[in-house]
Amino acid sequence: MTKHELSFDVRVFSLETIKRALYRYQDKCSFDIQLRDSDIVIAFESSIEDMADRIKREVLDQDLRDTISKQTANVRQLILANAFSNTGLIG
Amino acid sequence: MSPLGKRFKLVDDFNQAENHDYHLLPSRFAGLDDGRYLLSNEVGEYLVVDRSQLESYVKKAVDQDSDFYHDLKSKHFLFDDDSNVAIDLLALKYRTKALRTSQFTSLHLFVVTLRCDYTCQYCQVSRQTDDKHAFDMSEETARKALALVFRSPSPAIKIEFQGGEPLLNFNLIQYVVSEAKKLNETHKRDLQFVITSNLSFLDDTVLAFCQEHGIHLSTSLDGNEALHNSNRPRPGKNSYEITVKGIKNAQRFLGRDKIGALMTTTEKSLSQVRSIIDTYLEHNLDCIFLRPLSPYGFAVKNHQTQKYDIDRWFEFYKEGLDYILEINRQGHHFVEVYTQIILTKLLSPFNTGYVDLQSPSGAAIAAIVYNYDGDVYASDEARMLAEMGDRKFRLGSVHTDSYEDIWLSDVLLDTLESSLSESAPMCHDCGFLPYCGTDPVYHYATQQDVVGHKAFSGFCAKNMKIFKHVIKLLEDPDTKKILTNWVR
Ligand code: SF4
Repeated sequence: MTKHELSFDVRVFSLETIKRALYRYQDKCSFDIQLRDSDIVIAFESSIEDMADRIKREVLDQDLRDTISKQTANVRQLILANAFSNTGLIG
Repeated sequence: MSPLGKRFKLVDDFNQAENHDYHLLPSRFAGLDDGRYLLSNEVGEYLVVDRSQLESYVKKAVDQDSDFYHDLKSKHFLFDDDSNVAIDLLALKYRTKALRTSQFTSLHLFVVTLRCDYTCQYCQVSRQTDDKHAFDMSEETARKALALVFRSPSPAIKIEFQGGEPLLNFNLIQYVVSEAKKLNETHKRDLQFVITSNLSFLDDTVLAFCQEHGIHLSTSLDGNEALHNSNRPRPGKNSYEITVKGIKNAQRFLGRDKIGALMTTTEKSLSQVRSIIDTYLEHNLDCIFLRPLSPYGFAVKNHQTQKYDIDRWFEFYKEGLDYILEINRQGHHFVEVYTQIILTKLLSPFNTGYVDLQSPSGAAIAAIVYNYDGDVYASDEARMLAEMGDRKFRLGSVHTDSYEDIWLSDVLLDTLESSLSESAPMCHDCGFLPYCGTDPVYHYATQQDVVGHKAFSGFCAKNMKIFKHVIKLLEDPDTKKILTNWVR
């Protein structure tokens, strides 16, 4: 088991994004999350060699996911409203 | 201007487009393999992209003249000023996919008896007794269940007789078929019947009855003689012989399309997938369902064993599918059913009726179980869980509860709502979501939580592996040709 610490700048990544990324690895390790100045610091132990890299990549992925979901929230509503409306197929 | 003219611009307009701005349409992604991602949209159209493509797409930096831009646009991942009809099209496609949910319960399972002549180890429900009254469904229970069946708005209704061994209560099957047909004179649904049987009691009377009413038979065939007999012990140790004889008789009298077989995967099966498939070919069956090990054993295993089992099962599935593709390449149409379900979701605008891969969950709204004593369960697995002492998903009883009581019960509505994939952690932004589903009973059985933590979930691990594998198989043009032929 090796101890790791990773920090992410809060001005770049939201706490939500980081929590969502860590959620995916909870079967592999447990995490401590702390706020230190303008950094979100994650501490964990793992015997998996590239665990830190995997987490960093996952945070970036999650950040992209958040961008997609923010930018498309309105359109998504519109599609669902159209799909379930009873006013004929294309309104 | 004509309605068409309002909706579509001239081809020249597209060519003259200068605006480099585009808007994202709702999409999700998931890692596929090293450095590659599956990008999918709300209705299941997909692209395989690399990391830099993914980033440039999200950051709106894709060159409008590139092939990639064209792919993203034609598969509805973005829209620009020339394509704002995309939202209407997506809505229409979404509606087609969602149609299945609004049609409601189409599969009704009648557990007509718990009695069985077999003593299979992994079966939690069967009873070895001659006491007919204790474990057989009565006419009164069946009549009340049928009244509920026809309250479902589904235009197609399938009644499946299960057990124990349902042919041990053949009189009741005859009763249900004739009553259902009478009721259907007014209801006019597309009504079908299936008997799931080990075929021990398949005699001329049963065959004639099946022929008269167009009834399908479904049996269990676990593989070669030694494997089948060891999985399915019965007095006389001849279950393979009986099953195979039954399959042959049914094929001869009813037609090949009227009998199908399902297999149960056990520890012993894992090393002999080719031989299992050969057994199916030998008996003229044209498909096989390589099913995973069931988590509903007497001892529900802990999470880690679950995942370990999934890895081993996946190797079994992959080897089997490779072999099946080889068989297809030699000109023999033979299908693996789970792959077929996933292909239909990947390649067609339609949703499949497969209960385990739906969101909202298929429990009770796609299929429902009427137990021999009149208890109603959300699924067959829910009934097994009850046999193991947990009646969480018992929705009511045909004797005391109305249609509304059962289908609007808190346990059902809470389960359906809280287990929607679209709102579950990890699932809601997973690229595989359009092809996946939610299985609240499984997650409750393994994690005591209907949503389930997907990082620990055997359901998630299994499906993710299969999705990735099938999507990668589709990259080879020759294999794609074969697999496209499987789509229903
Ligand atoms: S269960 Fe797993 S594969 Fe399926 S949608 Fe959820 S996260 Fe994706």
